[in-house]
Amino acid sequence: MQIRDYIIRRLMILPFLIIGTSIIVFALTRIGGSPIGIYLSHEMSPAEVQEMKERFHLDKPVPIQYFYWIKGVAQGDLGWSGVASAPVIDVFPKKFAATMELAIAAGIVAVSLGIAMGTFAGARRNKFADHVIRIISVSGASMPLFWFSILLLIVFWVWLGWFPIGRSDPNLFEAIAHPTGFYTIDALLAGNLDAFKDAVWHLIMPAVALGYGATAIIARMMRSSLIEELQEDYVDAAKAKGLPKNVVLKKHARRNALVPTVTVIGLTFGFLLQGTVVAEIIFRWPGLGRWMAAAVLRGDQATIMTYVMFTSILFLIVNLIVDVVYANLDRRVELGD
Amino acid sequence: MVQTTPSNLNSFSNDLIASVEDLKVYFHSKEGLTHSVDGVSFDIIDGEIMGLVGETGCGKSVTARSFMQLVQTPPGVIAGGKIRFKSKKTGNQIVDLLSLTENQIRELRGERIAMIFQDPGKALNPGLTIRTQIAEVFQEHREDDVFKKAKIDHIHKNFIGAILQKYIKQQTNLIIKLMLLVPPIRAYKKKLDKAIDKLVIEALAETQIPNPEKVMERYPHELSGGMKQRVMIAQAIACNPDLLIADEPTTALDVIVQARILELITELQKRHKTSVLYISHDLSLVRKICDRVAVMFAGKIVESGDSDTIFKNPVHPYTKGLIKASFMTHERGKLEEIEGIETK
Repeated sequence: MQIRDYIIRRLMILPFLIIGTSIIVFALTRIGGSPIGIYLSHEMSPAEVQEMKERFHLDKPVPIQYFYWIKGVAQGDLGWSGVASAPVIDVFPKKFAATMELAIAAGIVAVSLGIAMGTFAGARRNKFADHVIRIISVSGASMPLFWFSILLLIVFWVWLGWFPIGRSDPNLFEAIAHPTGFYTIDALLAGNLDAFKDAVWHLIMPAVALGYGATAIIARMMRSSLIEELQEDYVDAAKAKGLPKNVVLKKHARRNALVPTVTVIGLTFGFLLQGTVVAEIIFRWPGLGRWMAAAVLRGDQATIMTYVMFTSILFLIVNLIVDVVYANLDRRVELGD
Repeated sequence: MVQTTPSNLNSFSNDLIASVEDLKVYFHSKEGLTHSVDGVSFDIIDGEIMGLVGETGCGKSVTARSFMQLVQTPPGVIAGGKIRFKSKKTGNQIVDLLSLTENQIRELRGERIAMIFQDPGKALNPGLTIRTQIAEVFQEHREDDVFKKAKIDHIHKNFIGAILQKYIKQQTNLIIKLMLLVPPIRAYKKKLDKAIDKLVIEALAETQIPNPEKVMERYPHELSGGMKQRVMIAQAIACNPDLLIADEPTTALDVIVQARILELITELQKRHKTSVLYISHDLSLVRKICDRVAVMFAGKIVESGDSDTIFKNPVHPYTKGLIKASFMTHERGKLEEIEGIETK
């Protein structure tokens, strides 16, 4: 099947998958009980409580509640966030952009470093560089994120003072417009280099902390699949053509070694999103993860449902991208069915 | 033991293309050092098809790979010996293939010495088109031809030529990739691509592949085994090498395709006057196409000489056993057994 047809078909299935996800998300959240608590205060009389229930349709059976919720979502009303004391739709985009900026930065760190380190180590099997990279990747895969984050914080913020925490210097960022919500991009659009430097500077530490685990996983996968590919006949055949070492390594072996690695990269995306919760709390990053943690603790169901819905859609899209990249790298893969 | 005459060890007579002298290749394994190739000597006469026969694991492939320094070290160790080779292109200069540096051997690989591998399904990169894979040979060794064919050799030596040269040699970085997008350079690049296309089509046509224009755009998995082996052959003879090493080129193919591929190899060999080192475990096949044969057993050459002589009057017991075993295939019953010797 043509790749373009495949993408179109998958995108056509997407709405159905989203509806399915929404039912599961709604059901699972409602198992936690009625969300009425978040809307009430101690001074309310029983009559007022009843009135609130009717206002949010919580007196109706759960399936009917679902239809009220999904109708609201379709109209852009995602509910009221008790944690943020504001409608979810007002708060969500900003926090979403903050989290995506962090996750994408961590993803870039993980993918570029992971592939580079894996290739370097795989091509120098059992040499000194390979051992060093192995130590780095074993530690990356085994250190808990919260612990590594705190370690970075102590060394680079408390002791050395090289990197700040938080997301930005408010003095710089209040002055510029925020069309995308990504501070690095906003700063570039505004042409403010100081602000850009500030945004990148704030981004480095949480991105490295968050990306380290994924880097380790990708590097290990890349190393082992490259070693496997380097044993293949076509590598010898490429050498027998008289090609230089770097062409044999990069054009021939690495390309095929990337096939299994791409699958792992797709999976680590979930790993990164999950990690943002911890990284955002430790580095005081004002994103979805922190908001989410508070929402879970307080039973803020509107926020939880929005978060889960969005991350599921993201996951579906990332999976689609992985499939397409996969088919591009390995021509034997037939897309579809 | 019948050996090649000792006088060959020190002289390199004029009619030879290559001469292996006392080659020793060992491998480190858990049990210690395995003597895979243990003092092998034989000559390849210019323009002949030399057969190297023996059972699986006797060191044939390792010997062949040593010609191109393709034995992985470690675990392999080249423990001794010489492979002398006469490069006809550089005025019959005689070099020792084992002592060449990486860059020197690279100049010979694919250009003066080419190799056809056993399993064409594995020897072609599954992720690249046939065109890309054959083109690499021209790009690496026939840069001048590519420029000439594109009719832009007047710019070969100037600044734009230098960029295009990097492109041809696949040594691009980000800056060069960006420069290749600049319109005038891009036009030249397209001309070069077309020239390479033509060279690839010619190479494929040489192996009698129907529709080379279409085959070239395919990926290896879209071709049959015989087609893939033709592509490998096209790739190997692209630069018209002096020596073609065929490492069991028909083992992975069915009988009918086998015969066609053999025909193709012998025909190309006659037309281009290439010398061929033909490696096989199939005696009857070797007898059919080879001028001379060396029989290898447990890392050593046990017998060598004219192929008819060897088949009619085998001297070494191993050769006798091998011939007996290979003609047993029509009858059912007890298979002829060849006693092994223990190698260290």
